[in-house]
Amino acid sequence: MGVLKPLAFAALASAGLLAVSGAQAAPVLSSTYADPSQPDISGLWVVTGAMQYAPDRSVPKLLGQYKDLYDKRTKAFKAGIAIDDDTADCLPAGLPHLFIVPYPFEILQTPGRLTFLYEYDSAVRRVPLGVTPPAQPEPDTATFNGDSYGHWEGDTLVIETINIRGDTQLDFTGIPHSDALRITERLHRKDAKTLEDQITLTDPKAYAEPFKTTRLYRTRPKWKISEYVCEENNRNKTDAQGHTRSGVK
Amino acid sequence: MQQSPRQSLWMHLIGLAAVVALGTQPVCAHHSFAMYDNGKQITIEGVVKELQWTNPHVWIQVLVPNATGGQDEWSVECTSVNFMVRRGFSKTTIKAGDQISVSLTPLKDGSHGGAFKGVNSLNGAPLKLESED
Repeated sequence: MGVLKPLAFAALASAGLLAVSGAQAAPVLSSTYADPSQPDISGLWVVTGAMQYAPDRSVPKLLGQYKDLYDKRTKAFKAGIAIDDDTADCLPAGLPHLFIVPYPFEILQTPGRLTFLYEYDSAVRRVPLGVTPPAQPEPDTATFNGDSYGHWEGDTLVIETINIRGDTQLDFTGIPHSDALRITERLHRKDAKTLEDQITLTDPKAYAEPFKTTRLYRTRPKWKISEYVCEENNRNKTDAQGHTRSGVK
Repeated sequence: MQQSPRQSLWMHLIGLAAVVALGTQPVCAHHSFAMYDNGKQITIEGVVKELQWTNPHVWIQVLVPNATGGQDEWSVECTSVNFMVRRGFSKTTIKAGDQISVSLTPLKDGSHGGAFKGVNSLNGAPLKLESED
């Protein structure tokens, strides 16, 4: 039942928009676009599609201990036990989970770099342009969001991210990865309202082969990024077994 | 076993027709929703004890009459302040003392809580919310 309402809203919104503007409008340069030498992918974007890491809910070909870990989490999930990563305790989602959280983010384009400002957790991702990434990850310096390096190939922004902590998950279903993970993103603006990200996860420790997926993001012209402070009233902290609490009083 | 919330098939159907849904899945990046019986939806009616207008989740505490003449406190876990605001909620939309009918996805373990699906009525009137767009 709940499905119908948002769809109806969306239909009304589209109908209203079409009546005013007629055909598809050309991309509008946003106020956060400040480098005319780059294609414009700036502005506020929100992920579309499933909350699982891949829109078709597929999973990487997991190896050894990573497969065992995912099997354990899947079994618990089906039994009604939420085994979350540290996000249940208000620690960051990290990359690549941040790519699919259903909160908006804003891309700023300034000379020599892009900056991603996420509403979720008020996370920030800095992407310098034209800096060569290290050939191998350095796990000793790994962080939740890793280190990102960008360059343009035509109208496509290519971002390589490495040095990502191995203890975060791809999504709420608990798909693991290791600290050898390397993320390659190919971002381009499909049309005025759509940003496409072709994402490849390469992780020789955890995955038998690179895992490719495509996520689409859409503009939300009326939205603004707001504050999100997870520590304010977290009733879902994990218990001693690592199970997320229900928050019931 | 928990006390059954006050509900009937009719209430349920009316509730579903009037419900202002927030989507098919909880907007919840913060934790998984394995704890909820996602195939199920129930309606509870009672008096709001407290609205916790907070992140990572907004909570509605509702006192619901039970079968033994007392009342149970239900914890209704909503999405975040950010998404409630986008649907037109504010921290004063729902207040302590309000009579409320809420649809929720119940907890699998049978305790008095669930994930918020929508408000069927507030003080006897439907609650008009905005489109998320």
